[in-house]
Amino acid sequence: MLQVSSLTKVFRLASSKRGREGHDPRERGRRFHAIDGIDFEVRRGQVLGLLGQNGAGKTTLLRILSTSLKPTSGVVLCDGEDLTKNPLEIRKRIGFVSGNTGLYGRLTAREMLSYYGKLHGMAAAALDERIRSLARKLDMDWFLDQRNETLSSGMRQKVSIARALIHDPEILLFDELTTGLDVAAADSVLTVVAVCKSEGRTVLFSTHHMDEVDQLCDSVVIVHEGKLCFEGGVDTMRSQTGESFLDKAFLRLIRPKTEGAKT
Amino acid sequence: MKAGFQTVFFKEMKDVLRDRKTLLLMIILPIVVVPLLLNLLIGFVIKKEQEAKSEVLEYVVFGDEFAPEFAKTFEGANGFKKVTLGSSDELVVAIREERIDFGLVIPEKTATQLSGQEQASIELHFDNASMGSKVEDRVQGLVEKFNDGLTAARLAKLGVPSGQKQKSLLEPVRLRKQGTGKIREVIGDRIGGMVPYFFIAFCFMGVVYPAIHLGAGEKERGTLETLLLAPIPRHQVVLGKFLAVFCGGIIAVLLNLASLGTWLAIKAGELRGIIGTLIGSIDLLDLMLLALMLIPVAAMFAALLLSISIFARNSAEASTLISPFGIVLIVPAALAMLPGVELNWFWASVPVTNVSLAMKELLKGTMDYTMLLAIFASSTLIAGGLLFFCAKWFNRESVLFRV
Repeated sequence: MLQVSSLTKVFRLASSKRGREGHDPRERGRRFHAIDGIDFEVRRGQVLGLLGQNGAGKTTLLRILSTSLKPTSGVVLCDGEDLTKNPLEIRKRIGFVSGNTGLYGRLTAREMLSYYGKLHGMAAAALDERIRSLARKLDMDWFLDQRNETLSSGMRQKVSIARALIHDPEILLFDELTTGLDVAAADSVLTVVAVCKSEGRTVLFSTHHMDEVDQLCDSVVIVHEGKLCFEGGVDTMRSQTGESFLDKAFLRLIRPKTEGAKT
Repeated sequence: MKAGFQTVFFKEMKDVLRDRKTLLLMIILPIVVVPLLLNLLIGFVIKKEQEAKSEVLEYVVFGDEFAPEFAKTFEGANGFKKVTLGSSDELVVAIREERIDFGLVIPEKTATQLSGQEQASIELHFDNASMGSKVEDRVQGLVEKFNDGLTAARLAKLGVPSGQKQKSLLEPVRLRKQGTGKIREVIGDRIGGMVPYFFIAFCFMGVVYPAIHLGAGEKERGTLETLLLAPIPRHQVVLGKFLAVFCGGIIAVLLNLASLGTWLAIKAGELRGIIGTLIGSIDLLDLMLLALMLIPVAAMFAALLLSISIFARNSAEASTLISPFGIVLIVPAALAMLPGVELNWFWASVPVTNVSLAMKELLKGTMDYTMLLAIFASSTLIAGGLLFFCAKWFNRESVLFRV
């Protein structure tokens, strides 16, 4: 279980990045409040959709949850354990994949997986077996020994997912997983997410595609300008806004806030 | 199971060595390009030198009737060809247009000056802007030959017998130079400052690309973010990366050293005495110490450039930030080439310069090994400090996630 309470992340702004006073409500003097007092929780085996416009704070939130960034204040508990107290141990339980697939082009998919397995302290035999099993599951056998730089976007995303799954994590954080993928590649990647859910893993899934939310998510969190503006199920999203389409419901939920901020 | 930094190191080495640009800079450049360039350069210089010595110089003389004996000296000499020119006013233009190599203008009063046993002045017009020109040397040689004959005749006329008596009259005191420096010291002092400069430059070149690739390159490709999620402390990630960059510098230096050494050994005969003498007098221990001195330099460069590279947003920014350091770091290495800069306790405390001077002393064979130890220790300490800074730097969110 992942519990987030009163989470805040403040960045110090470089003078060149400072905008006009009042332009963005999150910019307060020299400080930028990227995440501002967010609370939510994800239960084991649940898929939580993390929604928000570009720059809403989704990536910062995921970076905090993945231990890349430290929160300015607030607490994140992973099965009752504070994320900031022992990040190295927490990282063993978390897998992270971003839309901008970070792969080493000159390594083969197998070498890449082997590298991350070793970094996670896996023994050679167990690692080989794990790579074989993931390759079967993700249909990667046929390109496992090709260099990553020669792979298509869909194949690269599969390697990226396999990399995140190599140490068999309980929690998966996916940041705009299907960005830039064609329909077939996106479908095969989403199938993997569904498999992860069926295996009982906790998934936090950031996306702009509402059909993906409809298809996979048990509940939804909407972040707008660093603040939480909705938490609940997909059906609640529809009933609360009176919209049958999730795109419309999403816009309804964030629009009053946007307009409020502009006035 | 390997420690985290070892896993990172082996992966980074594999990644770096699979890159064509790195292979070119680190391996192909020292093994193939450097000896090839040296061969071409030295061959070109030797060829030009020989050409300048054996070239037939075309000249004109104005007023040869006022010093016919002097003019005859040139007419009879090998490698000189007399030509004619309309008037002396054309002299400068003719030399500039390379129609002639030089011109001599003998004034009218020369005849009376020479017969009156006075000193005469003859003008030599030549292109003194040409560095490789041997005109002045070759003309001076003939003038000296003419002067020797005339002086001997004049002294004989004054009743001074030729031979030793004339020499002692013309040069009452003769300085016989008895240098105490061994030939290795003399040569080492003259060219010993250049050798470390090249090795330090090669070391820098070997470090630059891996530093950019493993620092800013990781940010750019988006792999740094996933690497930071590995359950190993960040200082181990830095250590693994540092070792890979450091190895880049060491490999470049060793290959350059080996390639240059092999080339010199093959070419020593052709280059005649000087280089051969220097190579022959350097023993294996000195060579090993020479390579050893470059280890902390490579470590300093690796830690510094990795810190800069980690700070940069992408490879292009990293290249821009690193370029000025190429000049800043090479200047202290070049200081060893300046006359008067000798290894003492002051210079021993200046990073890079101290190593450069120590390498020069090693080549000269006059190294004070206590000082060598101090330089090695201080350079290692600085490299350690820079590595510590790099590890701290790598822990800062504002550096890693700089936007």
